[in-house]
Amino acid sequence: MLRSVHRTTSAARIAQLAKRYSSYASSVFPDEPSVPQLKTEVPGPIGTQLNTNLGDVFDNRAAYFVTDYYNSIGNYISDADGNKLLDVYMQIASIGLGYNNPALKQVAKLDEMTTALINRPALACFPGVDYQKVLEDGILKAAPPGMTKVWTATTGSDANETAFKAAFMLQAARDRGSRDFNQQELISVMNNEAPGASEKCILSFDKAFHGRLFGSLSTTRSKAIHKLDIPAFPWPKAPFPALKYPLKDFENENKQEENRCLEQLEDIIVGKGKGNIAALIVEPVQSEGGDNHASASFFQGVRDITLKHNIFMIVDEVQTGVAATGKFWAHEHWNLSTPPDMVTFSKKFQAAGFYFRDPELQPRQAYRQFNTWCGDPSKALIARTIVQEIEANNLVAATASVGDYLFNNLSSLFEKYPGHASNIRGQNMGTFIAWDSPNADHRAKFLLACRAKGVNIGGCGEAAIRLRPSLAFNESHADVLCGIIENVLGEM
Amino acid sequence: MSICEKYFPREPSAPVVSSSSTGEASKAEIKTLDKTFDSRAAYFVADYQKSEGNYIADVDGNLYLDVYAQIASIPLGYNNPELIKTAKSDKMIRAIVDRPAMGNFPGADLKEITLKLLEFAPKGQDKLWSGLSGADAVELAFKAVFFWYQSKKRGYAKPFTAEENESVMKNQAPGSPELAILSFERSFHGRLFASGSTTCSKPIHKMDLPSFKWPKAQYPSYKYPLEEHKEENKREDERCLKIVEDIFSTWKCPIAGLLIEPIQSEGGDNHGSAEFFQGLRDITIKHGALLIMDEVQTGVGATGTFWCHEHFNLSPPPDLVTFSKKFQSAGYFFHDPELVPDFAYRQFNTWCGDPARMILAGAIGDEIVKHDLAAKAQEVGDYLFKKLESLQSKYPKYLQNLRGKNRATFIAWDLPSGDARNKFLSDMRAAGVNIGGCAEASVRLRPTLVFEQKHADILVAAIEKVLGSY
Repeated sequence: MLRSVHRTTSAARIAQLAKRYSSYASSVFPDEPSVPQLKTEVPGPIGTQLNTNLGDVFDNRAAYFVTDYYNSIGNYISDADGNKLLDVYMQIASIGLGYNNPALKQVAKLDEMTTALINRPALACFPGVDYQKVLEDGILKAAPPGMTKVWTATTGSDANETAFKAAFMLQAARDRGSRDFNQQELISVMNNEAPGASEKCILSFDKAFHGRLFGSLSTTRSKAIHKLDIPAFPWPKAPFPALKYPLKDFENENKQEENRCLEQLEDIIVGKGKGNIAALIVEPVQSEGGDNHASASFFQGVRDITLKHNIFMIVDEVQTGVAATGKFWAHEHWNLSTPPDMVTFSKKFQAAGFYFRDPELQPRQAYRQFNTWCGDPSKALIARTIVQEIEANNLVAATASVGDYLFNNLSSLFEKYPGHASNIRGQNMGTFIAWDSPNADHRAKFLLACRAKGVNIGGCGEAAIRLRPSLAFNESHADVLCGIIENVLGEM
Repeated sequence: MSICEKYFPREPSAPVVSSSSTGEASKAEIKTLDKTFDSRAAYFVADYQKSEGNYIADVDGNLYLDVYAQIASIPLGYNNPELIKTAKSDKMIRAIVDRPAMGNFPGADLKEITLKLLEFAPKGQDKLWSGLSGADAVELAFKAVFFWYQSKKRGYAKPFTAEENESVMKNQAPGSPELAILSFERSFHGRLFASGSTTCSKPIHKMDLPSFKWPKAQYPSYKYPLEEHKEENKREDERCLKIVEDIFSTWKCPIAGLLIEPIQSEGGDNHGSAEFFQGLRDITIKHGALLIMDEVQTGVGATGTFWCHEHFNLSPPPDLVTFSKKFQSAGYFFHDPELVPDFAYRQFNTWCGDPARMILAGAIGDEIVKHDLAAKAQEVGDYLFKKLESLQSKYPKYLQNLRGKNRATFIAWDLPSGDARNKFLSDMRAAGVNIGGCAEASVRLRPTLVFEQKHADILVAAIEKVLGSY
């Protein structure tokens, strides 16, 4: 095992070890490997052949390797050749409880799941008798502070776009006051023209990622390849702070940077004219865009500006949500004086949608926020189990604690390799940790070298490396990870 | 023994509607649910464990013959035993528990799952890309169309210019080009922002949402019965095709794709002839645009062929065909290899679909083929249409423009007004039939593929009972 051997066995250390051995992963995944198991290169001959075959029917050019999900377990992903890699990417941050989690297997086998799968309802027209309870025991139980209502959807993009729709409809309703739609609105909307079709917009931030459908993609500003050749709405973007690390050495500069961004944000809003921006959408940590962080006071500033200008604040927790940052929702780190208006979710929750608190965000007329399925009860059942497992096993606190451990170890490690890893960030943010390679080529080499040594890891932004392990990731996994990173950096 | 009897030995033989029930249990449940989840569109609260075959149960103990079937999305009846088997299979459990980011980490069984779906691909299509809902499928298809259109101009796999790379980050041309999708008045293609821009069914679907300034052509409005209005309807086709041609020639920006439903469903069950669709195919080819056939509601057997547009024998076939609803999975079929974008990570997202749903779609397709359910839908549809024709002669006022002949159970008609239609739907429910409307004053039938003659008899008797009371 790649355990550090130089530690003294202090009382605290023994207590820590005891905690480790009673950890979630060791109790639910007794057969999880303790270190990566490599039999061939990754991908190996079988995986390479399978991937070539797959290419006949499915665009596989983004495939890292063909995966054997039956033999993946806990934090270890198995490829088709039987190699088992420690996975700190976890299906782009979307597997919460580890592979083949027994609690999820159990719910997947319930009759409740069977009926949800094969009798999928048009939820808003014919809700099933149990949907309210399923929401209450799961998705709503985990609602962020101040949020009491939810609208369900199918993906992160869908979640964000339904939140946009709620924002546009309520802003227009407020403009309209008590009157009904007028003739001009009713006619123009059918021609996709104002005043029926809104000319309001959604404001997002530079380097943001909010999805890839047409409305969400218009707010996405991460990379050109995500957006090229797709028509977009002419919506505005504001700068997102580019902080300097380590934070404690750049307090003043970072404060100035955040103030600069807040000033520009307000300038853009004022420049657009009163009432023209329906909502602002922001990620607590810009994930695809490079794991860019900002302080609680920056987000409080954003909240104050949105309130001042009657703009809804949508917090996109698609990637940050569900415990990975050491809080169930990352925006809980901010302690905002007024909670956000909407919070979107997907990925690790497996179900998607948005929470909200103002009942008026549910449009005044039925059939406006509406579609055939309005979500998927089978995914709501999975979300319920995820909430229950997180709660029963205290995985929010566990993730905060293993995140601190990992952050400290990585920080000391990177001090030895200053030319290879900089700007480590995500302190006190659970395992939501990232750092920068000197450039994209270096990053690509690093990621491949890690894979060759048995760690599956992902990048983001231009040259960043992001850690997105499961909530079953503990200190022994952190030790394996740090050991391999040290190995790789030592050889670079 | 009929297929339905084989699947559902315990299916009720007739609806059960308690005369004393005023739906109190449903009302109470809806009220509770509404505290956290918008329930104002709820008809009633269903008990899916107690629903069986063509019958949906509600919490008040009523059993309705369901000819709406979750807005046309239940293919093989409630609690179909073959789908139960699929749902309980190891393959399904695995798919639910470990949902992959398919583009990055495809499972070893993804090819097999995909090939199974491709067995049911429309004639001429041999590839697919998967999504999660009808609107998602349609917008993914738009993206493929826009990538294709620009790559034709730029050259497939040619690099982007610096200007494109810079402008796109500001949502400006040339990186975010001004291109359009042409759709039709009264069409419905979904409710996200781009799909919503092509939807043109009702103002309430679109009001207050920003939309792309994309054009709308006119979908034919035929006179019924078709055989008595051949000449007028032919002229109507020509008139509508001319409008399409004119828009292509005059629209302010290039039109990359034309999107159309084989039968406009939400918009009133409006039909177009094979000649009209061939005309559209010819115009799109002439103008270098792609033809997207939206089969979200019409697909998967309900019109008597697996895909409705197969009735039209288009040559060449459509470029993209979108699906969702009754297939339980979503996405689009296509055949041109250049509709796979020229670079990776362009048509991409975290999940790229859902293997659990794709496995279910495969099982649905297998059952349809094994039991020839599209042909059976055609037979029962013909039987039902004849019965409705005779009812029509008795109640012409309430069965106007009866349509969907030779389109299996995909049948609709008009009532004199929206109020009359709504009253009819609610009276039908009291008579034990759950039935849906579309457009302003239409009634549409969307039963499952295990709807048989005995169900048609019950439906017709209920219609006759309700209309007899008017």
